[in-house]
Amino acid sequence: MCMKKMIAVVAVALLGLAACGEADNAAVPGPSKTGKDVIGKAPVAAASDILPGSTMEKIKSRGELLVGGSLDAPLLSQQNPATGEVEGFDATMGKALAKYIIGEPKVKIVNSASETREALLANGTVDVVFQTYTITEERAKQVAFAGPYYTSGLTIAVKQGTSGIAKPEDLNGKKVIAGANTPAIPAIKKLAPQAEIVTFGSDPECLQALKQDRGVAYVQDETLLIAAAQKDPAIQIVTKPFTVDPYGIGLKHGDEQMKKFVNDWLGKIQADGTWQQIWKDSIGTVVQGDAPQPPKIGSVPGS
Amino acid sequence: MSVLLDHLPELWQGLVVTLQLTAASFLGAAVLGVVVTALRVSPVRVLRAIGTAYVETFQNLPLLVLLVLAFFGLPEIGVKAEPLTTAIVVISVYEAAYVGEALRSGVNSVSKGQGEAARAIGLTFTQSLRHVILPQALRTVVQPLGNIAIALIMNTALAGAVSIVELTTAAKNVNLVEAQPIPIFVGAGIAYALLAALVGLVTGRLERRLVILR
Repeated sequence: MCMKKMIAVVAVALLGLAACGEADNAAVPGPSKTGKDVIGKAPVAAASDILPGSTMEKIKSRGELLVGGSLDAPLLSQQNPATGEVEGFDATMGKALAKYIIGEPKVKIVNSASETREALLANGTVDVVFQTYTITEERAKQVAFAGPYYTSGLTIAVKQGTSGIAKPEDLNGKKVIAGANTPAIPAIKKLAPQAEIVTFGSDPECLQALKQDRGVAYVQDETLLIAAAQKDPAIQIVTKPFTVDPYGIGLKHGDEQMKKFVNDWLGKIQADGTWQQIWKDSIGTVVQGDAPQPPKIGSVPGS
Repeated sequence: MSVLLDHLPELWQGLVVTLQLTAASFLGAAVLGVVVTALRVSPVRVLRAIGTAYVETFQNLPLLVLLVLAFFGLPEIGVKAEPLTTAIVVISVYEAAYVGEALRSGVNSVSKGQGEAARAIGLTFTQSLRHVILPQALRTVVQPLGNIAIALIMNTALAGAVSIVELTTAAKNVNLVEAQPIPIFVGAGIAYALLAALVGLVTGRLERRLVILR
């Protein structure tokens, strides 16, 4: 008897919570809404651009673009736990490309990682990779890069009040935090070879480690650090970006047709303002000012 | 292949850290595991309950959760240790639950008469456990302990989550520069397989030498 009552109480409480959750979702419009507007206006390729027998035709007949990407990169490609939608700059670019090829933004994101994306492209598990994929000459031997479609740079954050760190070389001999599998690791090794690098899997873990003095500085992409410093006054950014990381769209090695097709698409969306709007909806929500000048397509060795 | 040779020093260093983690954690897990077994088979009800609670807690939580929790959580209450120390302690504590259960099954395999005889000649509980029960129990659980050791080697890869550059993390770092995941991870995989095979070989030998013919 008593047991039944308890179960009833718990059930009612849970229902109440569930109802609350739904109400909250309806009341707060997510950023995904604006994301859809951009996609609505994004261009679609002419039928003549989809060459017979090409990768583009294969994607179109499949009706879905397979994108290698992240689900945990804030502002770039992060799954919204409330809606299940993947949001951010890279994620929206993927949707825009899908719309260009298929006519609809039908995307399946394959959660890839820095250690798997070359293999995923090579064996055809994914068609493209949008994942802060910095174009390098080493990588260009394994995959083809369209773009660059965005340029970012690494900068240094410290705990508020830390002195003696103003440039990358100051990191020599110190413990430096970096995200696992990020370009920060090779960059620190190059500019401050005597630094001891400690890595953590995600951005929040790195920030927590910085606050707990596991290292004196945290090297990460400028965008992420700006967002972190805005949320948390204990974090301070000490330099302008000291690297130039051109992000490319990873494609299967040797697929020149597809590379030219994607480059043409990039040129179009940069000219008609789609690129700028995608930037505004994602990175632009933490970085002040207008969208930057997009990097010149093919301007980087390896692209 | 050349990519492995080019980065041999980094990968070797990673392997050394993996071995350090494995050796220290297995030692810690063995010592703690004996204590857990003693609690689990103790005649005192409260101690048995503590032993059961320990095993249930640590067997039912993922190691990764424990690692991250200890690494980021403990400093919040003023307990902060070096990453390597933290990882060794956490892996020891976690694996001790498994070692304890393996040992307990060994203890149960020792016939009841052995314990009764030990008590009858005047040994205390601890003495009978140490001199009569455990030596016989250990012989029957060599193979399960070997399996736990192999699982432990693989589990050390999770220490990468708390900033330790063991073999898997070292391989990831190399791949970040070289972008050749297949040779790099196959190489790292072979190193793990060789370690596991070595443990298998040793336990096989030990088992044959320690076998009790009843």
